[in-house]
Amino acid sequence: MNKFLNINKKALILLLFLFCGIFAIAILFQKFNFQKSTNEIIDLNPSFDILNPTFTINNDKEKISVKAKQGNFIDKNLILLTNDVHFESDKFKILSDEVTFDREKQTAKSNKNSKFESNGTEIISQGFRLIEQGDIILFNGKTSVLLSQ
Amino acid sequence: MKYFLLVLVFYSFQIFAREAGQTEITTDEGIEVFKKEKYYLLKKNIKINSDEFNLKADELVKAFFNEGLYDVIQIISEGNVVLTSNKGMKAIGERVNFNIKDENIIINGKDSILTTNQVEMKSDGTIKVNNLTGLFALKGPKSNLISEDINITGNLIDGKFINIEDVNEVESLYVEDNAGVNIKTDTLDMYALKAIYDKKNNIIELFDKVKVIRDKESIVGDYARINTLDESYKVTSNKSDKKVRVLLKEKEDE
Repeated sequence: MNKFLNINKKALILLLFLFCGIFAIAILFQKFNFQKSTNEIIDLNPSFDILNPTFTINNDKEKISVKAKQGNFIDKNLILLTNDVHFESDKFKILSDEVTFDREKQTAKSNKNSKFESNGTEIISQGFRLIEQGDIILFNGKTSVLLSQ
Repeated sequence: MKYFLLVLVFYSFQIFAREAGQTEITTDEGIEVFKKEKYYLLKKNIKINSDEFNLKADELVKAFFNEGLYDVIQIISEGNVVLTSNKGMKAIGERVNFNIKDENIIINGKDSILTTNQVEMKSDGTIKVNNLTGLFALKGPKSNLISEDINITGNLIDGKFINIEDVNEVESLYVEDNAGVNIKTDTLDMYALKAIYDKKNNIIELFDKVKVIRDKESIVGDYARINTLDESYKVTSNKSDKKVRVLLKEKEDE
């Protein structure tokens, strides 16, 4: 019998294992890549609608800028602003963690702890409401005020 | 950020221990700030502490400010109001209107009381006092003014204080009451429909339905003029047909 026609069984089995191994590695690699890309897709779809939203409230006397880190649309005009929410004008500043802002009516409402700062005035309350384009500010719940001249 | 704010708020409440020159206000149901109208409303269980005065009110406080929110010029309070000042004044009433700049105070309602250096005023109507001018007025039922040496009751008590060595003394008085004015000193008990007192001349004048009681002596007439220094008095009758009546009682131990 021709020597070349003789099949080396050991070599054949070894080769077979090698192919299987490569195949398995290829599948695992593909699966890992798929998971990674899925995570990337999730990361690209965060749990908020607007990043660093900014708005402005204008009234006769002042311009109040509204800033936050995140914003979510509740409806067409209502936006839930979260994380580091600032209402700021030349005369005062309000800091809160969660505020519902109405773009159309230019009003704001919060039930979370809020801090108001103005020249010589500090107000800490359990929430606030800003109405009539910022001319009236209502501080809710237990409230503490410190006035310094 | 949320935790940062919570910590900030927590510490801010801790930090809100008043320093000299500062005014601290606390309320149970919040504050409404009306920037255009320049006032704020403080709601329920209000406490205001400052260097000059302390105020407590159960229901509502309307505080007017001048330029900044800190520049409070007038405070109108409702609901069991107690106002004390560092000048020794204490006001208690259902409603107190305190003008800080003009040092004017108006107390309304039943059981209104104002005490200031050596003088106590009570009324079920209105008590008005201006600490700068010394002018005061009590109007309404049970109006009563008590000082160290005089006790006056009448529906209208109008007068002026002068401050002598940190003690408020009554300089002038006008008292009237359709049901009768009563003025009591250490030795005299006087009744009339109207009374006028002038410290400068040391004279009390009594008009209409006059009655002066001293010890066991009682004199009735239409007009009386009493010298508060030597406590001598003259009682007259306006009408010719009416005479001055003098009643003398024997002392029990005589």
